[in-house]
Amino acid sequence: MDHKNSEEAALVRRVQARDELAFREIVERYQAKVFSIIYGILRNHNDAEDIAQQVFSKIYFSIRNFDFRSSLLTWIYKITVNECYDYLRKKRVRKLVYESDFSDEDALRMEAAEPAIDPAAPMDRQLAQQDLVAKLLDKVSAEDRTLILLKEVEGHSVEELAMMTGLNENTIKVKLFRTRQKLLKAAQRLGRTRPFGK
Amino acid sequence: MHRVIRDNLEQVLADSPLTGIAIKHHLDKCDECRGQIVQMREHAQMLRALRSTQDIEPRPGFYARVMERIEAEGPASIWHVFSESPFGRRIAVASMALALSIGVYMFTAEQPDATATHQIEIAGGEDQPGIDLTNTGAPDRDAVLVNLVTYRGQ
Repeated sequence: MDHKNSEEAALVRRVQARDELAFREIVERYQAKVFSIIYGILRNHNDAEDIAQQVFSKIYFSIRNFDFRSSLLTWIYKITVNECYDYLRKKRVRKLVYESDFSDEDALRMEAAEPAIDPAAPMDRQLAQQDLVAKLLDKVSAEDRTLILLKEVEGHSVEELAMMTGLNENTIKVKLFRTRQKLLKAAQRLGRTRPFGK
Repeated sequence: MHRVIRDNLEQVLADSPLTGIAIKHHLDKCDECRGQIVQMREHAQMLRALRSTQDIEPRPGFYARVMERIEAEGPASIWHVFSESPFGRRIAVASMALALSIGVYMFTAEQPDATATHQIEIAGGEDQPGIDLTNTGAPDRDAVLVNLVTYRGQ
């Protein structure tokens, strides 16, 4: 599919020429999609607004580098997912720094005071699963992560992914296979699955 | 995972009716492939849970807030050219490589000169005019004369 000669490409070229009306059109066209992606990953309304602003700010500053090899939506999707995982990573680091401020005694007392997660409770199970998915996806590259999410979360077929990314179908299949393998290995390292063939 | 499954992985994971009998037979026989497919299906299921269950629209005035943020962040500095664009990154790497090779060349090129100066000083100190003072074998007359004058002056 030719991403260079579409109506969307004309819009992108106008933004590249710093046409603010065109940028407004991009924001209005994609804001709901960006919010849904962020909310799907973080499940938090308050963070969604902040990250969505950051996503569109990034789009504004880096659209000059957009090379029309993929569709605009794929490019925006990638930026959005990356922002979410950057946010989760920073949040994890902040938590570690916060915890390192406590003495060992305090940390032990806090751990004892924290209610244990009950895997049988639906809410806890959902949170634990969300945490596991975030950890697993953090182990693969940004490109692979975008591809597997476009496949599984957005439900695109291999043919559609090939059109969206400008890669051929076999390359998509190989990339998906490798990503799935990496996720399995990461899950094994985290002790969440049994080794292959056992 | 065996090739027969790997080549048709997306079909197998989707449990597509197009999946051939050969693949089904292989999965019946091969524990390794079957185990991996089960785990991959579990992961796919977990990933699908990231699908947003509701349509979320931002609060009114979202575009204005985005523009405020863009203005606050300001235009990218000149250094962003080197960090953001692939071409800029290549230029930065090439410049660093060039600076490094010039540095290495300067360092290695200066070594023989220092030895030559040292030899001149030794020759002057031992008062042996006419000996070969340079690595090239040609006597450096000026240096010898300067040494002789200095010696007599002392």
